[in-house]
Amino acid sequence: MSSLPSAPAKVPIWRDVRVLRWLFQIAVLAVVGLIIYWIWGNYQTNIERSSVQTDLRFLDNPASFTIPGNDFDQSSPVRAAFVQGFLNTIQVALVGIFFATILGTIVGIARLSKNLVVKTIAAAYVEVIRNLPLLLLLTFMNLAVVLQTFPRIEDAWKPLDLFVISNRGLAIPWFEGSAGQLSLLVLAGIVLAVIVVRLERARADKVGRPSRALLLGTLALAIVPVVGWITLGYTWTLPFVDGRGTSGGLRLDPSFFALIVALVVYTSSHIAEIVRGSILAVPRGQGEAADALALSNSQKMRIIILPQAFRVAMPALGNQYLNLIKNSSLGATISYFELTQIAQITVGNGSPAVPAFTLTLLVYLAISLFTSLFVNYFNRRLALVER
Amino acid sequence: MKKATLFVSALAVGALVLSGCAADDSSESTATTTTNNNSSSTTETAVETVSMLEAVQAAGTVRCGTRDALPGFAVLDESGEHVGFDSDFCRVIAAAVLGDASAVDMVDLETADRFTALQNGSIDVLVRNTTWTATRDGSEAATFLQPTFYDGQGMMVASDSGYSSINQMNGAVVCVAKGTTTEGNAALESSRLGLGWEVRAFDEVDLILEAFLAGQCDGWSSDVSQLTGLRSAYPDGAAALTILPEVFSKEPLGPAVLDGDTHWAQVVNWAILATIQAEEFGITSANVDSIRSSTTDVGILRFLGADVPTSDGSAVLDPGLGLPTDFAYQVVKQVGNYGEIFARHLSPLGLERGVNSLWTDGGLMYAPPYR
Repeated sequence: MSSLPSAPAKVPIWRDVRVLRWLFQIAVLAVVGLIIYWIWGNYQTNIERSSVQTDLRFLDNPASFTIPGNDFDQSSPVRAAFVQGFLNTIQVALVGIFFATILGTIVGIARLSKNLVVKTIAAAYVEVIRNLPLLLLLTFMNLAVVLQTFPRIEDAWKPLDLFVISNRGLAIPWFEGSAGQLSLLVLAGIVLAVIVVRLERARADKVGRPSRALLLGTLALAIVPVVGWITLGYTWTLPFVDGRGTSGGLRLDPSFFALIVALVVYTSSHIAEIVRGSILAVPRGQGEAADALALSNSQKMRIIILPQAFRVAMPALGNQYLNLIKNSSLGATISYFELTQIAQITVGNGSPAVPAFTLTLLVYLAISLFTSLFVNYFNRRLALVER
Repeated sequence: MKKATLFVSALAVGALVLSGCAADDSSESTATTTTNNNSSSTTETAVETVSMLEAVQAAGTVRCGTRDALPGFAVLDESGEHVGFDSDFCRVIAAAVLGDASAVDMVDLETADRFTALQNGSIDVLVRNTTWTATRDGSEAATFLQPTFYDGQGMMVASDSGYSSINQMNGAVVCVAKGTTTEGNAALESSRLGLGWEVRAFDEVDLILEAFLAGQCDGWSSDVSQLTGLRSAYPDGAAALTILPEVFSKEPLGPAVLDGDTHWAQVVNWAILATIQAEEFGITSANVDSIRSSTTDVGILRFLGADVPTSDGSAVLDPGLGLPTDFAYQVVKQVGNYGEIFARHLSPLGLERGVNSLWTDGGLMYAPPYR
């Protein structure tokens, strides 16, 4: 009996791994809690002592400033200014992401080109832009390109009399009518495009011929708003120089232009590297199989390589999109009225700093989390279903 | 298994010890913050506890919130020293409180950060071209003191633009620096006159300058004193710019201190007032010594902290501000009177005394009696 290995004695509680793990976690939690409690207490006493306003009442005060390119006036509440700043940030983000993705993909593909000139130019672009600070790039775009290259409003360029280009903005022909109706028509166009693409894909699969979904979808997207607009009897207006600015058409703020160009150029250099890496991550056999099927180079890229590459690229791309959105706050330095600029101006005009900037932080956080959610959703949809 | 248990228990013990320390630390520091808080809140009720004044005297320097790029008010010279009207008022405060005009720690602040710096206690006093407004008094935890300069917002245009009044600037693009009430004032004036200005707000004066030179802005709006300073430093020469006659806001610029410390506020206030009183008495940094030794004017003797003959010998007036009795002498001797400071920094820019003259000359500069 004594030769048999004795049954393991009951582990004493101070050596029980499960208990110790719990104790350890509780201890860590307690430390974190105490630190937060201490910071919060300090904050409260200091705020109380210096009688600083901490609630959000200021959102109902009149804003007292104006926002260029907008009918927002100074008697509107601060709340409305924040909403306009939010919309302007979203506008920069959407336009920036759209063009950065396209440019980045093109440069990424070009970096893998067999043509030495194309390859070298793409490599130089990526290496130079990627290693510059964005703020510098933005300041350069504003000072050297918008302010110096574009003419003064007195000698504005008017190509074909359709555009007015000066350092006070870029004015383009635009529909005349309500923005609400226009967005409804665009929405209808999108719906139609989705239906057309689905039908065309199904037809192509059945018939066994390459689908022309992209072409037909784009047409559907464009035709509905244009036809709708014409049949509704609306017209379009051309921009013209009017005094110290322009009238008619749609005017893009010069700082908007500088900001978009800087963000697109900068982000595309990062996206290009992601695209290049993702293309290289697609197994060689896929490309060879496409060659064996006698697909053209463009078909091979479009149908075989890129869809698989984007599956790899999606998480990294999402990161770049988040960066672009957050980087858009640099527009505040060159007077683009996005969220940060609104926060800074409203604080300068009497809103309390701590709540105003806290609100701004939370809005950026919400935008970023929403973007992450969207990217994750897309990622799951694209991911290979493995069994 | 045994090893793992040992490791985990060691970790746990370590964490417990650490958490014990951290908890001690935090309770200690909460204790100290509460005592701090007590001591400063008592100043509001009982004046014998001097908080900021004591702190400044103990530190031996005044931390003065200022800036480094506004000609005339505060710029850096070749040796890195702050030079200007505001910088000199920082020195006035140091001369009064510490008897040494050079005992100043100049803290350069962005416009948008200036009140935060005051609130979090990283500066003792803010002398940075700051307009006294009701909201700032009420919501920014700032107490504004004797204005050092009565300013107003104006408009600067290119001389060859053909504008001679802001009423002609229909639909103009007006550029301003961000972080202050300038956009609000410009927007208000634009809507009052129905001019439809587009107001663009930049981070830096340098960026406005570039935009202005390139013709992106028709007008540059700011306080007239700032515009005068900027015009004097304009790359194409001061004559290329014109400041239009209209002034469309009241901008009393003065020092500000944190709310809740009346004593420190009074000290800073009297340091500023001493420069005005000295000018009224005709005392300058050049003649202060001879006046002090030769005058028989009781008012001047009191002001300079000299012996004043009384029925039973002589006495020095100590108004009980907590300042050295000769603070006014030190201020005038080391920095100068108001008129001297103005002449040194603002007259070269082409600014007139105007409303900033002494009350005896029809201006607004008036010091309560020192007795």
